[in-house]
Amino acid sequence: MKPITWQHALGALGLGLLVWGSAQALLVAPPDRHMGDVSRIISIHVPCAWVGLLVYTIAMVLAVGSLWSGRSRWDAALTAAIETGLVLTALMLLTGMLFARPTWGVWWTWDVRLTTTLLAFVLFAGVLTMRSFLEEPRRRATWTAVATIIAWVDVPLVYFCVRWMRSIHQVQSSPDTIDAAIYWPMRINAFAVLFLALWFIVLRTRVERLREEVDEVAPPAPVVTAA
Amino acid sequence: MRALRQTVEILRKDLLLEWRRRARLVAVLVFAVNVLLLFSFALGADTGTLAKATGGLLMLTLLFSSILALGESFRAEHEHAALEGLLLLPMHPVGIFYGKAVANTLFLLLLAPLLVPAALVLYGGALPAGQLLQLLALWAAIAAGLAGPGTLYAAMTGRLRSHDVLLPLLLFPLVIPVLVAGVRSMSLVLTGDPMAQLGGWVGLLVAFDVIYWSLCGVLFPYVVEEP
Amino acid sequence: MLLAGANGSGKTTLLRLIAGLLRPSAGSLRVFGLDPVAEPLAVRRRLSVVGHQPFLYGELSARETLALWNRLLERPWPAATIPELLEAVGLEDAASREVRTFSAGMRKRLSLARVRLERPRLLLLDEPFAALDQDGQDLVDRWISEFRDDGGAVVMASHDLSRASGHGARAVLLRSGQAVWTGAARDLGERLRMPN
Repeated sequence: MKPITWQHALGALGLGLLVWGSAQALLVAPPDRHMGDVSRIISIHVPCAWVGLLVYTIAMVLAVGSLWSGRSRWDAALTAAIETGLVLTALMLLTGMLFARPTWGVWWTWDVRLTTTLLAFVLFAGVLTMRSFLEEPRRRATWTAVATIIAWVDVPLVYFCVRWMRSIHQVQSSPDTIDAAIYWPMRINAFAVLFLALWFIVLRTRVERLREEVDEVAPPAPVVTAA
Repeated sequence: MRALRQTVEILRKDLLLEWRRRARLVAVLVFAVNVLLLFSFALGADTGTLAKATGGLLMLTLLFSSILALGESFRAEHEHAALEGLLLLPMHPVGIFYGKAVANTLFLLLLAPLLVPAALVLYGGALPAGQLLQLLALWAAIAAGLAGPGTLYAAMTGRLRSHDVLLPLLLFPLVIPVLVAGVRSMSLVLTGDPMAQLGGWVGLLVAFDVIYWSLCGVLFPYVVEEP
Repeated sequence: MLLAGANGSGKTTLLRLIAGLLRPSAGSLRVFGLDPVAEPLAVRRRLSVVGHQPFLYGELSARETLALWNRLLERPWPAATIPELLEAVGLEDAASREVRTFSAGMRKRLSLARVRLERPRLLLLDEPFAALDQDGQDLVDRWISEFRDDGGAVVMASHDLSRASGHGARAVLLRSGQAVWTGAARDLGERLRMPN
């Protein structure tokens, strides 16, 4: 048996907080005055959004490190961060839709934050897709890092752009007033999701590193360097 | 100074190559007109609807055409490994980027004199005679927004299998701000700007151009240099 | 210096490492006392490459190709040099033709002319004799000799040992990326006849 390492402590902490926060949100908090039970989903929707964007930012920092150092360790962590970010934004979009349907009667609204997150999802999914076409490890690392930086810089631009577009087109916007009862569960879940995300990134990085080691010992096929 | 001279040389070379392959330029123009036609059929050939959407349809046409133009711009560089030859010269790769990005911008700019009148004829509308220069400057800013990141991504995807899919996959979500700002400002120029909103959108376009032309210039050497 | 070895033994990779087109995955190398990864411009100022690929644009003519390359150099030659150079490589009649219509041998000749423009001190040659006719191979022979007489250094990978071994004082035999033998170039033929 391996001793419990700090990484798993991260996971345990995240899971514990998630259980606590969700219990608060689902069982303790009273239903929202206007939206009823549906509003409880905010307690996980918003943390996914926050941490998702944070994880993309971590990915950007890792991308700069990867370009600067040229070491594969950064690349493994960078990929792990993008994957985790994609999972979180996918969850954010999904819970957003589940919230939108009963609240506004539509699955999708062109809300500023939803739209920006959707764009971030598509942007970073594109980065991973491109990555899957690259075989030579060093080039793959460089190009992933470059594409990550480019995609990350776009997110605030998209945000401003959608906000201006919406401000001219007045349609309904999402309620900014969140019931105080759901406020604390949401904060707890935010930390829970953060710890879980970090745990995923660390684990995923390790898996990637192990795969690299395996490839070194038994290469899948001789990689011919393209001229 | 030398870097500037080399940039100009690369630009001159690209324009000469473009001229030698002018059959291709004509093909892209014909393609663009085809797209404009397709839109009018898809939207029901109703002048009222079309006139309102002119800006958006023009931008989409430009965007689709740009993929063809950009994808081609690195074919010549890779065909006989000319890019590698350039890199072996004592010149900074950044000159290659700016030379090619300017060439691509000019290529997209060349579409304007055909596409704008064609769209106005097909969709109904009058060319605002007093604003021709404004329209051209706007088109240049949009073309630069597409060509800047487009040149970098074309350099990356040009050597890959399935580059024809990957380039739009990476570029389309990235240039959403250019698309939105382009559509808005184009519509404002074409149909009038009673609320003086043009400045904000043009500002966003220029900001996008400045950010991505600088960023891509910094990142381009990483992409083309093998190490 | 002559690089020998079977296909895939690492000759081209080594040349690309020297040119700074590849980064060593382990270790480091020095070219003119400089690291080609850290100071690519300084290294590339001093070396030129004739590779498998001709580094050309299909839609430019031979004359335009050399003119472009010349103008990209730090110290361009006077314009009159280009026709002279085209004549020297036997392309004077094809000077206005677009390169895409050229045969492999003609492209190689154009690459050789390009290299002359670059005033290298180190010449990296990857199969310089391939695709060339007798006359072209003699031309390469002559240029390499002149270049070495002027104090230039040559690193050449070639299968044509009878021609190549005339140019190298030293030779390295590569197998699977490892130097398995180093010695005088004239002994290389004998070494290759031995089993392993």
